Amino acid sequence: MINKIQLSDKTTNFLIALGKSSLALVTALFIGGVIISLGGYSFVEVYVSIFKGSLGTSRGLILTLATATPIMLTGLGFALGIKVGIVNTGLEGQLYAGAMIAALVGAYIPLPSGLHTAVALLAGGAAGGLIGALMSLFKIRFGAPEVITGIMLNSVVMFFTSYLSNVPLKPEGAAAAQTKEIFETARLTRIVPRSQLTTALFIAILMCILVYFMHKKTVWGYQMMVIGLNPRAADVAGINSSYMYTAALSLSGFMAGLAGSGLVLGIFRRFIEEVSSGLGFQGIPVSALAGHNPLGVIASALLFGALEAGSLIVNQSTAIPFEFVDVVQALVVVFVAAPAMITDPFKFVCMKIRKRRLTDAISEVPHEEGE
Amino acid sequence: MELIKMTGITKEYPGTVALKDVDFYLKKGEILSLLGENGAGKTTLMKILYGMEKQDKGEIYINGEQVSFSNPNDAIARGICMVHQHFMLVPAFTVTENVIAGIEPTKNKYFVDHKQAEDRVRELINRYNFNIDADAKIESLSVGEQQRVEILKALYRDASILILDEPSAVLTPNEVDELFVTLRKLQSQGTSIVIITHKLRETMSIADRAMVLRSGLLTHDSVDPSLSSVQELSELMVGRLIRLDNRQPSEKIGSVMFSVKDLVVKDDRGVERLKGISFDIREGEILGFAGVEGNGQTQILEAVTGLIQPESIEMTLNGEIITGDARAHIDCGIGHVPEDRSTMGLVGGMSIKSNFILGYHGYPDVCKNKLMRWKEIYAFGENCRENFQVKTPNIEAPVSSLSGGNQQKVVMARVLSREQKVLVAAHPTRGLDVGAMEYVHQQIFDFRDQGKAVLLISAELDEVVRLSDRLMVLFEGKIVAECDPTEFTKTELGLLMTGHSVETVRGMAS
Amino acid sequence: MELFASIIATTLRLSVPVMLAAIGCSFSTKAGVTAFGCEGMMAAGAIFATIGAYYSGNRWVGVFVGLVAGLFMSLIHGVLHIRFRVNATLSGMGVNLLGVATATLLLKLVWNEEGFSPPTDAFSKLSATPPFTGIAKIPLIGGVLGEQSIYLLFCIVFIILGWVYMYRTTFGLRMRMVGENPVAAHSVGINTVRYKYFGVIMCGLLAGLGGTYLSLVGMNRYTINMAAGRGYVAMVINNLGGSNPIGTALSSLFFGFFDCLQFVFQGVQTPAQLMMMMPYVFTLIVCLLNSKRATGPAGVGKHFDAK
Repeated sequence: MINKIQLSDKTTNFLIALGKSSLALVTALFIGGVIISLGGYSFVEVYVSIFKGSLGTSRGLILTLATATPIMLTGLGFALGIKVGIVNTGLEGQLYAGAMIAALVGAYIPLPSGLHTAVALLAGGAAGGLIGALMSLFKIRFGAPEVITGIMLNSVVMFFTSYLSNVPLKPEGAAAAQTKEIFETARLTRIVPRSQLTTALFIAILMCILVYFMHKKTVWGYQMMVIGLNPRAADVAGINSSYMYTAALSLSGFMAGLAGSGLVLGIFRRFIEEVSSGLGFQGIPVSALAGHNPLGVIASALLFGALEAGSLIVNQSTAIPFEFVDVVQALVVVFVAAPAMITDPFKFVCMKIRKRRLTDAISEVPHEEGE
Repeated sequence: MELIKMTGITKEYPGTVALKDVDFYLKKGEILSLLGENGAGKTTLMKILYGMEKQDKGEIYINGEQVSFSNPNDAIARGICMVHQHFMLVPAFTVTENVIAGIEPTKNKYFVDHKQAEDRVRELINRYNFNIDADAKIESLSVGEQQRVEILKALYRDASILILDEPSAVLTPNEVDELFVTLRKLQSQGTSIVIITHKLRETMSIADRAMVLRSGLLTHDSVDPSLSSVQELSELMVGRLIRLDNRQPSEKIGSVMFSVKDLVVKDDRGVERLKGISFDIREGEILGFAGVEGNGQTQILEAVTGLIQPESIEMTLNGEIITGDARAHIDCGIGHVPEDRSTMGLVGGMSIKSNFILGYHGYPDVCKNKLMRWKEIYAFGENCRENFQVKTPNIEAPVSSLSGGNQQKVVMARVLSREQKVLVAAHPTRGLDVGAMEYVHQQIFDFRDQGKAVLLISAELDEVVRLSDRLMVLFEGKIVAECDPTEFTKTELGLLMTGHSVETVRGMAS
Repeated sequence: MELFASIIATTLRLSVPVMLAAIGCSFSTKAGVTAFGCEGMMAAGAIFATIGAYYSGNRWVGVFVGLVAGLFMSLIHGVLHIRFRVNATLSGMGVNLLGVATATLLLKLVWNEEGFSPPTDAFSKLSATPPFTGIAKIPLIGGVLGEQSIYLLFCIVFIILGWVYMYRTTFGLRMRMVGENPVAAHSVGINTVRYKYFGVIMCGLLAGLGGTYLSLVGMNRYTINMAAGRGYVAMVINNLGGSNPIGTALSSLFFGFFDCLQFVFQGVQTPAQLMMMMPYVFTLIVCLLNSKRATGPAGVGKHFDAK
């Protein structure tokens, strides 16, 4: 007697989601590998070195964790938006807002150690949250699609902070655009000295866990789920959608703001123009691979962190371009959205092979001639 | 030889067999009524004939010649046109544009010849007395007028076979009569017509022949409607005698418990949709609103459940004034069974368990200190499932896996499992078969018999008449009549629903 | 007078790439597919135009290759949304990320550069291009026209063709019906899938063409992050312009004008970044005021089987 394993709906759903993500990741890596080999490098060698570099050495591991930290937060931010059915395209601007405010609090408001860091972080998060709330306001009050306002706000914030760091807030004698260095009391502790790994990592992981808990166990999470799945039913059920959209987008922006604050307080110790190179948008592939699940974001961020860190390390000793990781990330978004894109061609080929085999088999049956 | 013959049609969807081995035929020049409950397969069968769906098994013959349709164009080329239940129109386009799209008259091969199009459309409008403006935008037309545009589409394409899907669903009895006049005229000019319907009276009045489908199977194919009664036809449809006319008037009506005064609602164009109506509902009473859709029913529902903020309203429940948003209204004990369960009442992707608490998710038995009490919610859900006979093996399954009737049971269970003072029921049996309909009606009667108030709004006149203890007729945002449901005949009610005054109608009766 | 003409000329020059992309967006939107993804299409157009021009030595080959690249990107968006029913914003975002990442990667892979590519054959202004050299002599507008490239001609052609197609031909009427109510369109036998793909492909071709402008006109090389958000702006402009070619073209000019102001004010003491911010702020404000009216076709994001 063979016992059939009874899987609950929840387990089945989880396995299916895991399958989708894995398939998307593998395919994306594969295509990335193909592109790399077109550039003249060995596919397998590249990936082996990448993962060896990022996870095999302590230096690589540190870089992996450090790289994963900001995108874990922006990925979480994106997931928060998706829960209520909103594509938050404004994460980049929210990150910049957080970075600038954290830099200012850190540099101009003296506070005792520890408290200073906390206040600066919260202020940065709040700045990002404010931008998110603004997007929500535009949506509710003016009916402006958040997809578009997010993009617009990105540019506005980025140019404005660029202006601030180029003109009024630029310290005397500084060469590049930046703000005054933050006080020591505001610094985020570096877990490993002289590295980019700071306690921001713990904050990021903590945030993911808290958001997961909020989604699954609280009444706000329930309401967000309803809004995301059926906004009209949410209205009829007495759920205040405006309130929830604002809450979700503010939280979303808060996470991105935290990411920016972490970068400033932990690594750069000041606001610089290049504080982020698309980290806000990188949140999208991170969240997508995780199935927009807050806990999954932890794993997804670590994975992408490993990929990026590894390719940076590999790039130092060879000429392999690290940009292809961005391509892999973009491909993940494409494939996670429609796993059928991968399986359909596969099925098609299988079907063709089967048809071929069938016709071959038929033609092999001997014909009786005459008699 | 039959004009159309379909043999052995089988069509399956994942999880259901829509049609099993159905044989269908249509004679030239006849008006055929295709009868059956909701979900019996009538629309599916006709969609296959029209080329919108493809059968899994079976053949189609036209004039003895086998045909195979891959899309509606093939059917149209053969003179088959379908007038859909849910109109296939573009609100932002004009009547002419809607009629010609897909078959536009051209000059220089690719450019639309608007003049020619308009002329032909106007000519058809005049020939059949449709009384609409070829230049008007669809969004400015009434429902009855929009249906005429749908029929125009078929006429423009020289349809010799017309399929109408539930044509009278949105018409008053008088508009239905007008429609039948048009159909008879078409018949006299050689058009063959199939009417898909579950309305028995219309079958009896217009059809030459009736065919009955039940759960995807053909049960009777040549019923002569003139020889049958409503009861007999109904029995054919469900296989048992259904007494839809039996009313259950309230045994005990108490004092006024729910009252609405001077309700004025304006739409986003500033047009008054409700022009200052007032009504009361007493304990142990069902107040029903009859009227053609679009005369203010939705506005009443939205105002009474707090979904919109009216221009003016004075609403009291047991003497207390009620204001605020939907949340406030729900908390006051106003239970809402919404118009459209799938878009307004349920969240498809969510589990049945979670749907049982929708709207009441903040209540102490569901949520404590903002934390969801999933164990208690599960127990509550199991209770609901049992008490309301929701057919499902597992309440963790998504609610979209349930049939329409069971979904409506979830909605009702959710509302009726809690203490409610007033039940606001909107089209509560829309899309349900007769069995589910009976169940829902009984639930409403039982609720009322506890001494509570029920506000009923329904497009089904039969339902309103059957359930209500008192009836109000709504026309263009005003209450034009208040009466006992048995005071007028259906036809008279139809006249009231289209704006005739009570005096006129009473005068006609005597 | 000189300043005035120079402003107009610069406005036109700056508007052209975005205008092309925005007209593409109007095709896509009218067919019912949200036109998100232009950034990736423009980036792909730009980099592949440079690649094509570099290896062939001919800028027209570059244009062709850039067009193909834009087309390819739009097909990814199209297949994801039309065939696999992915939310158009998500699939568009995927294309955006992919296009920009691919462009940066190719810059490295092909030339091992991180800033900009080597120079290629490029388009010069009309007054330097035979057979248009005489154009500067036209009274009043000659000076302005002379400063433009041949792409202005493309713009005008597509505005006219686009408008005529949409509002005068049978195909245009059907495509618009698909965008308004795909279920209705299907019920009268219109192939909704085909028209949606058409809209998406036109968007890809035109956005790609806009991208080729960036790297082949004025500049004669690909610079890192060349698209610089123009694809996103094109989408906003399309929304502003009511999704039709003429409205969109006018909105592009509007944006181009503000973009141009940044250069006008550069001599004066106002910092460059604030000027660069202006067009975005302005468009944001207009977007806020405009949204309630311009909602676009009713059937955007919907499919023929109402699923």
